Amino acid sequence: MRTPKIRSLAMLLALAGTVVSAGAQDPRPGARLDPASLAAINAMVGSAKAQGIPVGPLHDKVNEGVAAGADGPHIVTAVRILSMDLASAYKALGSRATVDEIKAAAYAMHAGVPAVELGKLKHQSGLRRSLSLPFTVLADIISRGVPVRTAANAIRSLVGAGAKDKDISDFQRNVKVDIEQGAPPAAAAETRAQGAGKPDKSDKPEKPDQNDQNNR
Amino acid sequence: MAEWGRTTLEMIVQDLQAPVRLDESFDRRVMVRVRKLYAERNPRHGRGWMSFATTFAYRPAWAAALAASVVAIATLGVLRVHPRGERPATLGKPEPVKFVLVAPNARTVAVVGDFNNWGLGDSALVATSNQGVWSVTASVPAGVHRYAFVINGKQWMADPTAPRSSGDDFGMPSSALVVEDSTK
Repeated sequence: MRTPKIRSLAMLLALAGTVVSAGAQDPRPGARLDPASLAAINAMVGSAKAQGIPVGPLHDKVNEGVAAGADGPHIVTAVRILSMDLASAYKALGSRATVDEIKAAAYAMHAGVPAVELGKLKHQSGLRRSLSLPFTVLADIISRGVPVRTAANAIRSLVGAGAKDKDISDFQRNVKVDIEQGAPPAAAAETRAQGAGKPDKSDKPEKPDQNDQNNR
Repeated sequence: MAEWGRTTLEMIVQDLQAPVRLDESFDRRVMVRVRKLYAERNPRHGRGWMSFATTFAYRPAWAAALAASVVAIATLGVLRVHPRGERPATLGKPEPVKFVLVAPNARTVAVVGDFNNWGLGDSALVATSNQGVWSVTASVPAGVHRYAFVINGKQWMADPTAPRSSGDDFGMPSSALVVEDSTK
Protein backbone atom coordinates (compact mmCIF):
# COMPACT_ATOMS: atom_id res chain seq x y z
CA MET A 1 0.00 0.00 0.00
CA ARG A 2 2.76 2.35 0.92
CA THR A 3 4.84 1.92 -2.25
CA PRO A 4 2.06 2.92 -4.71
CA LYS A 5 1.40 6.04 -2.62
CA ILE A 6 5.06 7.09 -2.76
CA ARG A 7 5.18 6.34 -6.49
CA SER A 8 2.08 8.47 -7.11
CA LEU A 9 3.54 11.34 -5.11
CA ALA A 10 6.82 11.16 -7.05
CA MET A 11 4.95 11.18 -10.37
CA LEU A 12 2.89 14.15 -9.24
CA LEU A 13 6.01 16.08 -8.26
CA ALA A 14 7.70 15.24 -11.57
CA LEU A 15 4.65 16.41 -13.48
CA ALA A 16 4.52 19.63 -11.47
CA GLY A 17 8.20 20.21 -12.20
CA THR A 18 7.64 19.75 -15.93
CA VAL A 19 4.77 22.23 -15.95
CA VAL A 20 6.76 24.80 -14.00
CA SER A 21 9.81 24.48 -16.26
CA ALA A 22 7.66 24.76 -19.38
CA GLY A 23 6.11 27.93 -18.10
CA ALA A 24 9.43 29.54 -17.15
CA GLN A 25 11.24 31.92 -19.51
CA ASP A 26 13.55 29.93 -21.69
CA PRO A 27 16.48 31.96 -23.02
CA ARG A 28 17.41 29.34 -25.64
CA PRO A 29 17.07 30.45 -29.26
CA GLY A 30 13.79 29.40 -30.70
CA ALA A 31 12.23 28.70 -27.34
CA ARG A 32 9.22 30.80 -28.31
CA LEU A 33 9.11 30.06 -32.02
CA ASP A 34 6.36 28.09 -33.71
CA PRO A 35 7.41 24.55 -34.75
CA ALA A 36 7.50 25.30 -38.49
CA SER A 37 9.77 28.34 -38.06
CA LEU A 38 11.95 26.46 -35.61
CA ALA A 39 12.35 23.59 -38.08
CA ALA A 40 13.25 26.00 -40.89
CA ILE A 41 15.84 27.74 -38.71
CA ASN A 42 17.32 24.46 -37.52
CA ALA A 43 17.71 23.39 -41.15
CA MET A 44 19.50 26.65 -42.02
CA VAL A 45 21.77 26.38 -39.00
CA GLY A 46 22.61 22.78 -39.92
CA SER A 47 23.40 23.79 -43.48
CA ALA A 48 25.60 26.68 -42.33
CA LYS A 49 27.43 24.41 -39.92
CA ALA A 50 28.11 21.91 -42.67
CA GLN A 51 29.62 24.66 -44.83
CA GLY A 52 31.89 25.89 -42.04
CA ILE A 53 29.99 29.15 -41.65
CA PRO A 54 29.78 30.50 -38.09
CA VAL A 55 26.34 29.83 -36.65
CA GLY A 56 26.58 32.06 -33.57
CA PRO A 57 25.29 35.13 -35.48
CA LEU A 58 22.28 33.09 -36.64
CA HIS A 59 21.37 32.21 -33.06
CA ASP A 60 21.83 35.87 -32.11
CA LYS A 61 19.48 36.90 -34.91
CA VAL A 62 16.81 34.53 -33.61
CA ASN A 63 17.17 35.95 -30.11
CA GLU A 64 16.98 39.48 -31.47
CA GLY A 65 13.80 38.68 -33.37
CA VAL A 66 12.18 37.03 -30.37
CA ALA A 67 13.16 39.95 -28.13
CA ALA A 68 11.81 42.42 -30.70
CA GLY A 69 8.49 40.57 -30.77
CA ALA A 70 8.79 39.54 -34.44
CA ASP A 71 6.74 36.62 -35.71
CA GLY A 72 8.25 33.31 -36.81
CA PRO A 73 8.22 33.81 -40.60
CA HIS A 74 9.80 37.25 -40.19
CA ILE A 75 12.59 35.77 -38.08
CA VAL A 76 13.10 32.95 -40.60
CA THR A 77 13.51 35.52 -43.40
CA ALA A 78 16.04 37.53 -41.39
CA VAL A 79 18.03 34.40 -40.54
CA ARG A 80 17.98 33.29 -44.18
CA ILE A 81 19.32 36.66 -45.39
CA LEU A 82 22.02 36.70 -42.72
CA SER A 83 22.96 33.12 -43.53
CA MET A 84 23.41 34.04 -47.19
CA ASP A 85 25.48 37.11 -46.29
CA LEU A 86 27.65 35.05 -43.96
CA ALA A 87 28.19 32.46 -46.69
CA SER A 88 29.18 35.13 -49.20
CA ALA A 89 31.46 36.83 -46.68
CA TYR A 90 33.08 33.52 -45.79
CA LYS A 91 33.70 32.79 -49.46
CA ALA A 92 35.06 36.29 -50.14
CA LEU A 93 37.39 36.47 -47.14
CA GLY A 94 38.68 32.93 -47.26
CA SER A 95 39.01 30.30 -44.61
CA ARG A 96 41.67 32.21 -42.69
CA ALA A 97 39.30 35.03 -41.75
CA THR A 98 38.17 35.13 -38.15
CA VAL A 99 34.57 34.62 -37.13
CA ASP A 100 34.35 38.28 -36.13
CA GLU A 101 35.62 39.40 -39.52
CA ILE A 102 33.07 37.20 -41.27
CA LYS A 103 30.34 38.59 -39.03
CA ALA A 104 31.36 42.21 -39.65
CA ALA A 105 31.72 41.53 -43.38
CA ALA A 106 28.21 40.04 -43.50
CA TYR A 107 26.81 43.20 -41.92
CA ALA A 108 28.76 45.31 -44.42
CA MET A 109 27.28 43.26 -47.23
CA HIS A 110 23.85 43.80 -45.73
CA ALA A 111 24.59 47.53 -46.04
CA GLY A 112 25.35 47.08 -49.73
CA VAL A 113 29.10 46.43 -49.98
CA PRO A 114 29.88 43.89 -52.71
CA ALA A 115 31.66 40.77 -51.49
CA VAL A 116 34.48 41.37 -53.95
CA GLU A 117 35.33 44.71 -52.25
CA LEU A 118 35.59 42.94 -48.89
CA GLY A 119 37.79 40.28 -50.41
CA LYS A 120 40.12 42.93 -51.84
CA LEU A 121 40.40 44.59 -48.45
CA LYS A 122 41.23 41.29 -46.78
CA HIS A 123 43.79 40.46 -49.42
CA GLN A 124 45.35 43.91 -49.06
CA SER A 125 45.56 43.82 -45.29
CA GLY A 126 47.04 40.36 -44.94
CA LEU A 127 46.55 38.11 -41.98
CA ARG A 128 47.90 40.22 -39.18
CA ARG A 129 45.41 43.03 -39.32
CA SER A 130 41.86 42.33 -38.15
CA LEU A 131 39.26 43.94 -40.38
CA SER A 132 36.38 43.71 -37.93
CA LEU A 133 36.39 47.43 -37.20
CA PRO A 134 37.07 48.62 -40.79
CA PHE A 135 34.14 46.52 -42.02
CA THR A 136 31.93 47.89 -39.22
CA VAL A 137 32.85 51.50 -40.09
CA LEU A 138 32.31 50.76 -43.77
CA ALA A 139 28.73 49.64 -43.04
CA ASP A 140 28.18 52.69 -40.84
CA ILE A 141 29.26 55.37 -43.31
CA ILE A 142 27.28 53.72 -46.12
CA SER A 143 24.18 53.85 -43.89
CA ARG A 144 24.86 57.60 -43.51
CA GLY A 145 24.72 58.16 -47.25
CA VAL A 146 28.32 57.73 -48.40
CA PRO A 147 28.26 55.94 -51.78
CA VAL A 148 29.46 52.35 -51.58
CA ARG A 149 32.43 52.84 -53.91
CA THR A 150 33.56 56.02 -52.15
CA ALA A 151 33.24 54.36 -48.76
CA ALA A 152 35.15 51.26 -49.87
CA ASN A 153 37.92 53.39 -51.40
CA ALA A 154 38.20 55.46 -48.22
CA ILE A 155 38.50 52.41 -45.98
CA ARG A 156 40.94 50.75 -48.38
CA SER A 157 43.16 53.81 -48.40
CA LEU A 158 43.10 53.97 -44.59
CA VAL A 159 43.95 50.30 -44.17
CA GLY A 160 46.60 50.58 -46.89
CA ALA A 161 48.17 53.52 -45.09
CA GLY A 162 48.50 51.43 -41.94
CA ALA A 163 45.70 53.11 -40.01
CA LYS A 164 45.02 51.57 -36.63
CA ASP A 165 41.57 50.83 -35.25
CA LYS A 166 41.64 54.08 -33.28
CA ASP A 167 42.34 56.07 -36.47
CA ILE A 168 39.46 54.36 -38.23
CA SER A 169 37.15 55.07 -35.28
CA ASP A 170 38.17 58.72 -35.42
CA PHE A 171 37.50 58.74 -39.15
CA GLN A 172 33.98 57.35 -38.59
CA ARG A 173 33.25 59.92 -35.89
CA ASN A 174 34.50 62.81 -38.02
CA VAL A 175 32.52 61.75 -41.09
CA LYS A 176 29.41 61.40 -38.95
CA VAL A 177 29.81 64.90 -37.48
CA ASP A 178 30.53 66.40 -40.91
CA ILE A 179 27.39 64.86 -42.37
CA GLU A 180 25.30 65.95 -39.38
CA GLN A 181 26.59 69.47 -39.96
CA GLY A 182 25.40 69.39 -43.56
CA ALA A 183 28.41 68.16 -45.55
CA PRO A 184 27.72 65.96 -48.58
CA PRO A 185 28.47 62.38 -47.40
CA ALA A 186 30.86 61.55 -50.26
CA ALA A 187 32.84 64.76 -49.78
CA ALA A 188 33.05 64.17 -46.04
CA ALA A 189 34.38 60.62 -46.47
CA GLU A 190 36.87 61.56 -49.20
CA THR A 191 38.19 64.55 -47.31
CA ARG A 192 38.50 62.79 -43.98
CA ALA A 193 40.23 59.79 -45.57
CA GLN A 194 42.93 62.01 -47.03
CA GLY A 195 45.74 62.23 -44.58
CA ALA A 196 44.04 60.04 -41.99
CA GLY A 197 45.83 56.98 -40.74
CA LYS A 198 49.31 58.07 -41.70
CA PRO A 199 51.85 56.43 -39.43
CA ASP A 200 52.40 58.42 -36.29
CA LYS A 201 55.84 60.03 -36.36
CA SER A 202 56.24 59.37 -32.67
CA ASP A 203 56.07 55.63 -33.39
CA LYS A 204 59.25 55.70 -35.45
CA PRO A 205 62.72 56.51 -34.23
CA GLU A 206 63.69 59.96 -35.37
CA LYS A 207 66.34 60.17 -38.01
CA PRO A 208 69.27 62.38 -37.17
CA ASP A 209 68.87 65.79 -38.70
CA GLN A 210 71.06 66.24 -41.77
CA ASN A 211 72.12 69.73 -40.78
CA ASP A 212 72.79 68.57 -37.26
CA GLN A 213 75.09 65.87 -38.53
CA ASN A 214 76.85 68.26 -40.79
CA ASN A 215 77.48 70.67 -37.95
CA ARG A 216 79.27 68.08 -35.87
CA MET B 1 14.02 -44.79 16.94
CA ALA B 2 13.16 -41.27 16.18
CA GLU B 3 15.70 -40.07 18.69
CA TRP B 4 18.39 -42.21 17.12
CA GLY B 5 17.49 -40.95 13.68
CA ARG B 6 17.71 -37.30 14.71
CA THR B 7 21.10 -37.83 16.35
CA THR B 8 22.51 -39.61 13.31
CA LEU B 9 21.14 -36.90 11.01
CA GLU B 10 22.64 -34.15 13.16
CA MET B 11 25.99 -35.90 13.05
CA ILE B 12 25.87 -36.16 9.27
CA VAL B 13 24.93 -32.48 8.93
CA GLN B 14 27.63 -31.44 11.35
CA ASP B 15 30.17 -33.42 9.40
CA LEU B 16 29.09 -31.87 6.12
CA GLN B 17 29.19 -28.38 7.61
CA ALA B 18 32.71 -28.79 8.91
CA PRO B 19 35.31 -26.75 6.96
CA VAL B 20 37.19 -28.72 4.36
CA ARG B 21 40.91 -28.59 4.94
CA LEU B 22 42.86 -28.82 1.71
CA ASP B 23 46.51 -29.27 1.11
CA GLU B 24 48.27 -25.86 0.76
CA SER B 25 49.56 -26.79 -2.70
CA PHE B 26 46.08 -27.69 -3.94
CA ASP B 27 45.28 -24.28 -5.44
CA ARG B 28 48.62 -24.09 -7.20
CA ARG B 29 48.27 -27.55 -8.66
CA VAL B 30 44.76 -26.84 -9.91
CA MET B 31 45.84 -23.60 -11.59
CA VAL B 32 48.82 -25.22 -13.25
CA ARG B 33 46.49 -27.83 -14.66
CA VAL B 34 43.97 -25.21 -15.86
CA ARG B 35 46.67 -23.14 -17.61
CA LYS B 36 48.03 -26.23 -19.26
CA LEU B 37 44.60 -27.19 -20.58
CA TYR B 38 43.95 -23.64 -21.83
CA ALA B 39 47.33 -23.48 -23.58
CA GLU B 40 46.65 -26.74 -25.35
CA ARG B 41 43.29 -25.51 -26.66
CA ASN B 42 44.42 -21.90 -27.54
CA PRO B 43 48.04 -21.96 -28.60
CA ARG B 44 47.94 -18.26 -29.86
CA HIS B 45 47.03 -16.91 -26.45
CA GLY B 46 49.39 -19.01 -24.50
CA ARG B 47 51.97 -16.28 -23.94
CA GLY B 48 49.78 -13.84 -22.05
CA TRP B 49 49.86 -10.04 -21.76
CA MET B 50 53.45 -9.82 -20.63
CA SER B 51 54.72 -11.57 -23.74
CA PHE B 52 52.50 -9.26 -25.82
CA ALA B 53 54.18 -6.24 -24.24
CA THR B 54 57.59 -7.79 -24.81
CA THR B 55 56.78 -8.24 -28.50
CA PHE B 56 56.00 -4.51 -28.72
CA ALA B 57 59.23 -3.64 -27.03
CA TYR B 58 61.22 -5.59 -29.57
CA ARG B 59 59.29 -4.50 -32.68
CA PRO B 60 59.55 -0.73 -33.33
CA ALA B 61 57.07 -0.94 -36.23
CA TRP B 62 54.36 -2.10 -33.86
CA ALA B 63 55.23 0.65 -31.42
CA ALA B 64 54.97 3.22 -34.22
CA ALA B 65 51.58 1.81 -35.21
CA LEU B 66 50.40 2.07 -31.61
CA ALA B 67 51.64 5.68 -31.39
CA ALA B 68 49.86 6.53 -34.65
CA SER B 69 46.66 5.01 -33.31
CA VAL B 70 46.91 7.08 -30.14
CA VAL B 71 47.44 10.25 -32.19
CA ALA B 72 44.52 9.39 -34.47
CA ILE B 73 42.21 8.77 -31.53
CA ALA B 74 43.29 12.02 -29.89
CA THR B 75 42.75 13.94 -33.15
CA LEU B 76 39.33 12.43 -33.65
CA GLY B 77 38.50 13.41 -30.10
CA VAL B 78 39.43 17.03 -30.83
CA LEU B 79 37.42 17.00 -34.05
CA ARG B 80 34.41 15.70 -32.21
CA VAL B 81 34.57 18.70 -29.90
CA HIS B 82 34.19 20.91 -32.99
CA PRO B 83 31.90 18.97 -35.32
CA ARG B 84 32.75 18.95 -39.00
CA GLY B 85 32.62 22.36 -40.56
CA GLU B 86 31.70 24.21 -37.41
CA ARG B 87 33.96 27.03 -36.39
CA PRO B 88 34.72 27.35 -32.74
CA ALA B 89 32.78 30.09 -31.04
CA THR B 90 34.64 33.32 -30.61
CA LEU B 91 33.97 34.17 -27.05
CA GLY B 92 36.83 36.54 -26.51
CA LYS B 93 38.14 37.75 -23.21
CA PRO B 94 35.49 39.86 -21.46
CA GLU B 95 36.36 43.53 -21.41
CA PRO B 96 34.60 46.28 -19.45
CA VAL B 97 32.44 48.44 -21.68
CA LYS B 98 30.58 51.53 -20.49
CA PHE B 99 27.28 52.30 -22.20
CA VAL B 100 26.08 55.88 -21.83
CA LEU B 101 22.86 57.51 -23.07
CA VAL B 102 21.60 61.02 -22.46
CA ALA B 103 17.85 60.70 -21.97
CA PRO B 104 16.58 63.25 -19.44
CA ASN B 105 12.92 62.26 -19.85
CA ALA B 106 13.39 58.50 -19.60
CA ARG B 107 12.05 56.59 -16.61
CA THR B 108 14.18 53.52 -17.25
CA VAL B 109 17.03 52.69 -19.62
CA ALA B 110 18.40 49.22 -20.28
CA VAL B 111 20.97 47.81 -22.68
CA VAL B 112 20.23 44.73 -24.77
CA GLY B 113 22.49 43.09 -27.31
CA ASP B 114 23.82 39.85 -28.63
CA PHE B 115 26.11 39.64 -25.60
CA ASN B 116 23.11 39.26 -23.26
CA ASN B 117 20.64 37.39 -25.49
CA TRP B 118 18.92 40.67 -26.34
CA GLY B 119 17.48 40.89 -22.87
CA LEU B 120 15.65 37.55 -23.02
CA GLY B 121 15.17 35.96 -19.63
CA ASP B 122 15.57 39.23 -17.73
CA SER B 123 19.19 39.56 -18.89
CA ALA B 124 18.97 43.25 -19.89
CA LEU B 125 21.54 45.56 -18.32
CA VAL B 126 19.75 48.16 -16.26
CA ALA B 127 21.36 51.60 -16.40
CA THR B 128 21.36 54.12 -13.60
CA SER B 129 20.66 57.80 -14.04
CA ASN B 130 22.77 60.75 -13.03
CA GLN B 131 20.47 63.69 -13.82
CA GLY B 132 19.37 62.14 -17.09
CA VAL B 133 22.76 60.74 -18.08
CA TRP B 134 22.18 57.01 -17.96
CA SER B 135 25.07 54.59 -17.77
CA VAL B 136 25.94 51.00 -17.08
CA THR B 137 29.25 49.17 -17.31
CA ALA B 138 29.30 45.54 -18.34
CA SER B 139 31.81 42.86 -19.24
CA VAL B 140 31.47 42.16 -22.94
CA PRO B 141 33.49 39.45 -24.70
CA ALA B 142 36.03 40.74 -27.22
CA GLY B 143 34.57 40.65 -30.71
CA VAL B 144 31.92 42.20 -32.95
CA HIS B 145 28.55 42.89 -31.30
CA ARG B 146 25.23 44.61 -31.89
CA TYR B 147 23.21 46.32 -29.20
CA ALA B 148 20.49 48.86 -28.49
CA PHE B 149 19.10 50.92 -25.64
CA VAL B 150 15.58 50.12 -24.46
CA ILE B 151 13.85 53.19 -23.03
CA ASN B 152 10.96 52.81 -20.59
CA GLY B 153 10.91 49.10 -21.26
CA LYS B 154 9.60 49.27 -24.82
CA GLN B 155 11.26 51.85 -27.10
CA TRP B 156 14.42 50.60 -28.80
CA MET B 157 17.04 53.17 -29.69
CA ALA B 158 20.47 52.97 -31.31
CA ASP B 159 23.43 54.48 -29.50
CA PRO B 160 23.80 57.91 -31.13
CA THR B 161 27.54 57.91 -30.44
CA ALA B 162 28.33 54.49 -31.93
CA PRO B 163 28.51 53.15 -35.48
CA ARG B 164 25.17 52.09 -36.87
CA SER B 165 24.46 48.45 -37.39
CA SER B 166 23.10 47.43 -40.75
CA GLY B 167 21.25 44.40 -39.51
CA ASP B 168 18.03 46.05 -38.34
CA ASP B 169 15.75 43.38 -39.75
CA PHE B 170 12.96 43.84 -37.24
CA GLY B 171 12.57 47.60 -37.46
CA MET B 172 14.48 48.11 -34.24
CA PRO B 173 17.53 50.34 -34.62
CA SER B 174 20.77 49.01 -33.21
CA SER B 175 24.43 49.91 -33.00
CA ALA B 176 27.65 48.10 -33.72
CA LEU B 177 30.33 47.51 -31.14
CA VAL B 178 33.82 46.13 -31.67
CA VAL B 179 35.45 45.14 -28.40
CA GLU B 180 39.18 44.73 -28.61
CA ASP B 181 40.99 42.11 -26.61
CA SER B 182 43.27 44.15 -24.34
CA THR B 183 45.74 41.27 -24.06
CA LYS B 184 46.47 41.27 -27.80
